[in-house]
Amino acid sequence: MNALRILSDEHQSLAAVLHAIRFMLKDIAAGKLEPDRALFQAMVHYLEAYAEQRHHPKEDRLFAILKTRTAQGAEALATLSAEHAAGPERIAALRRALADFTADPRTLDAFAAAFDQYATFYRTHMMLEEEAVLPLAHHALTPADWAEVDAFFAEAETDKGGEDFSALFDRLVECAPEPIGLGARPYAATR
Amino acid sequence: MTTGNILEVKDLSVAYGKVEAVSKVSLSVPRGSIVTVIGPNGAGKTTTLSAIMGLRPSSGRVTVDGTVETVPEVERMVVRGVNLVPEKRELFGSMTIEDNLLLGGFQRHRQGHRDQRDTMEEVYALFPRLRERRQQAAGTLSGGERQMLAVGRALMAKPTLLMLDEPSLGLAPLIVREIFRIIAELRRRGVSILLVEQNARAALQAADYAYVLENGAVKIHGAAQDLANDPRIIESYLGLASKHQERLSA
Repeated sequence: MNALRILSDEHQSLAAVLHAIRFMLKDIAAGKLEPDRALFQAMVHYLEAYAEQRHHPKEDRLFAILKTRTAQGAEALATLSAEHAAGPERIAALRRALADFTADPRTLDAFAAAFDQYATFYRTHMMLEEEAVLPLAHHALTPADWAEVDAFFAEAETDKGGEDFSALFDRLVECAPEPIGLGARPYAATR
Repeated sequence: MTTGNILEVKDLSVAYGKVEAVSKVSLSVPRGSIVTVIGPNGAGKTTTLSAIMGLRPSSGRVTVDGTVETVPEVERMVVRGVNLVPEKRELFGSMTIEDNLLLGGFQRHRQGHRDQRDTMEEVYALFPRLRERRQQAAGTLSGGERQMLAVGRALMAKPTLLMLDEPSLGLAPLIVREIFRIIAELRRRGVSILLVEQNARAALQAADYAYVLENGAVKIHGAAQDLANDPRIIESYLGLASKHQERLSA
């Protein structure tokens, strides 16, 4: 049942990056922080790539097994499935707003609005998973199911071919301004 | 070594005058594991760690690596491989990062060990940021960097059991994630961890086993994964909806 811990852990990582973007946008709007566009791009990339490549495939596998064990939560699972499918489109909207902001700093408000929309969507999505679906899985899956899920998750964790999200997260922490990170430094300079 | 536990605490009690702050707390830390103590503010978590470390007078029995420490004393606990990262970090702000680290290795130096430079390199490998700023005064560091230095200083004593008191306190989610990643890495390197945290969600995710302390006594204990799904814990300490909302909207 280590899978539940991994999913919750991944939610924390995504939530931490959402928190960081929100904080930076507030400080930029207040004139307290100069925007680091490369850092924003890296954070949005993390939200997209980590969710799509690492996180959602695990959830999809768990949810598929859950469906075979109980009819409970069917509505929530259908919602989550649709949201996973719509994820790329939603993040693309955020990426477009960031690209506009990168080209023209006067579009900060539009970028902030696009971010708010995405953060609200993703927060609601994670809450639905944590409140309705993961507790259900905890009770409904059999030991054999958990062994299968844990094995799938373990394989996904050791996939060496994918992006090094741990290293990326380290760089985000290193470059994010205080107090959310270790202190502002240009993201591009750390390459 | 007589058991698989690096630390065993039996019936630990601490009183402030007539008020008993910790009452007959028993817990154990299996070698190579992460054990967490969670609970509300004022539950006695910090007092428990302080008493184990010998910073507060206590009654009960503390066994480190199979040997009973009748009256725990700080210096002896450090020699026995136990070290504490205090809640307030307690760094020397006017001293450089490097000097703060060297102070952490002082006890080993007194014992005749001369591996402080090698250990410091290990600390720098774990916290590259500290290497970059090694000649900088500790007082100029950010909150996250100070926490890293506090952990690094404790590691200079080459502990087999590291006790961390509220390592996430006052830190933003991004840095909290980083600190917990480092805690997991320390465990991979063979350091056993006793972690006191108010951030129950993060602590239960990181830990193998958990104790819930309330009003100075252990109320519940069990595998961290089980407690994370225990309705009593969810209601009292995780409060999923409100906490999640709060965490994401902060």
